[in-house]
Amino acid sequence: MPGTLSPGRLLFRTGVVATLLVLVMLACSLVGPQTISLKSVASVSTSAAAPNPDYEIFFRIRVPRIILAALVGAALAGAGVVFQALLRNPLADPYILGISSGAGLGVIVAILSGLTWTLWGRSPIALFAFLGALGTVWLVWGIGRSAGKYHVTGLLLAGVVVNAFLSALIMFLTSVAQSQHLYATIFWLMGNMTEEDFLVLWVGGGGIVAGLVGLFFLGPQLNIISVGSQDARSVGVPVERIELAAFALAAFITAVAVSLSGLIGFVGLIIPHAVRIVFGPDHRQLLPLSSLLGAMFLVVADTIARTIVAPAQLPVGVITAIMGGPFFLILLIRYSRKVYWLA
Amino acid sequence: MTSAIQAQHVTFGYRHDRPVLRDVSFEVRAGTFLAIAGPNGAGKSTLLNLLAGLLKPQSGRVLLAGVDLCSCPVQITARKVAVVRQEFVPAFGFSVLETVLMARTLYFGRLGFESKTDRELALRALELTDTTAFASRTLGSLSAGERQRVFIARGLAQDTPILLLDEPTSFLDLKHQVKIYDLLKSIQIEKGTTLVAITHDLNLAAQYCEETLLLYTPDRRPAESPSYRIGRTADILIPEEIERAFDVRVFSAMVGSDRLLIPRGTRPRGSEPCGRTP
Repeated sequence: MPGTLSPGRLLFRTGVVATLLVLVMLACSLVGPQTISLKSVASVSTSAAAPNPDYEIFFRIRVPRIILAALVGAALAGAGVVFQALLRNPLADPYILGISSGAGLGVIVAILSGLTWTLWGRSPIALFAFLGALGTVWLVWGIGRSAGKYHVTGLLLAGVVVNAFLSALIMFLTSVAQSQHLYATIFWLMGNMTEEDFLVLWVGGGGIVAGLVGLFFLGPQLNIISVGSQDARSVGVPVERIELAAFALAAFITAVAVSLSGLIGFVGLIIPHAVRIVFGPDHRQLLPLSSLLGAMFLVVADTIARTIVAPAQLPVGVITAIMGGPFFLILLIRYSRKVYWLA
Repeated sequence: MTSAIQAQHVTFGYRHDRPVLRDVSFEVRAGTFLAIAGPNGAGKSTLLNLLAGLLKPQSGRVLLAGVDLCSCPVQITARKVAVVRQEFVPAFGFSVLETVLMARTLYFGRLGFESKTDRELALRALELTDTTAFASRTLGSLSAGERQRVFIARGLAQDTPILLLDEPTSFLDLKHQVKIYDLLKSIQIEKGTTLVAITHDLNLAAQYCEETLLLYTPDRRPAESPSYRIGRTADILIPEEIERAFDVRVFSAMVGSDRLLIPRGTRPRGSEPCGRTP
């Protein structure tokens, strides 16, 4: 009997990849300019007078940052899968509908207006990015919908045009900005991990994980929608509702990821393809595996970004493209026989 | 006999001022094999989409087993009617079995996985359409004819009392054309499925379908005259009707008990003028 995905097989594969992810995160948390060992981290000093430096570095700096990288990687890869399915387009990525430039514009406006107020002791930049992202997606969705029944193409075109328009605004604002503002902006646009505190991680992580779980349950519907919306309708899938739900969830987790880390390219494009090439196109599997592998990929990329030129740091977006490009091309050539959708 | 499909004064156009179908009314009794024939652009596929509930009529209504389609959510409609189409967009390399299993999406469990029944129906559909051999190949790697059989398998796997087919044999070789019609016929007889197939092969339709709906070209019919004819195939697929609908000359001959229709073309012959003859 020919093989298709079964719950057992999915659980096994997800379990293996999840375990691998935990191991990679653990290994990466030990890498850094300051050598630390798990042993000394574990030996918690009970006296407050003599804090354990290894413990401090591990739990206050490394672990939060690695968790952040994992969350962002998972969100971007998962959203990439969904956008590719909804737009029936292998070139789609989480930023294709203007989320990136919308968030970018929000950030630049926040930085240039010299915001001094804080939100629970935090800079409101992330909030501006989030609002800019969601506002743009809402606008693009509205335009795409009103462009008529061929709304996949309408949506794509609306996204591309809005993206270009907002990018132009961003460039305009950066060119008139003062130099001290410029550096923060550009670093953000290149995608940047910082050490977030646990409250931010909990909120962002909760949103991202909830979004990914919700999307997982749309897997079978995404399968048939990615074949064609007429086909989906005739097998009884309420296409408009599912598309709206999937689109909203994917846009939401992308917006969260972008507001936590800036624009990190490539993860949302190549991870879904890499997983599809190796494991097949079934979204019930593609979604969890892409998320886990996207997390792993970004954890590794960020570890390289923060260590390779230590004590300085590179924006992680640089690493994802430099590392991801060749890796993806190798996969593409190696598995080219299986890549029929590119033919 | 109960009626499986009723179209009541259905009018539809993609633009409001230019209806493709005007005031179409007919009834298909349960367990009938109906052929829809007509020239390109006459509205055959549009009619099929109306019957499947994928398009809503501008006026009039479509009833499936007495229930108005407009008031049905897609989940209900998909339990009654399956559609086999020929369009194929290469999307992400799904395998044949995965594609056929998608027909069962509606019945998947809470976690989104197929039950044993779903799997059995899918495998049976593969067997019936002679596609088991390439169950694990991707759709993109198949020939057009093989792919068409997979789409038919998907329609069968949906296991509905009504099956609509848009040119189910257009890409098939002779053997598989006959095999598919044999298969459809046996499903009609064994399970009492109501079949509606758009076809350009009038001779196959004449052999297998009890009833035929013939649509005329929109611009060729006067505004007041009916734009279609429906009835027993033997009454509809006759040279006069075909000549009227398709604007070609047709030669008919009896072979055994079957009447065969052969288009004669309009190439110049002898002293005949070039171009069409009335």
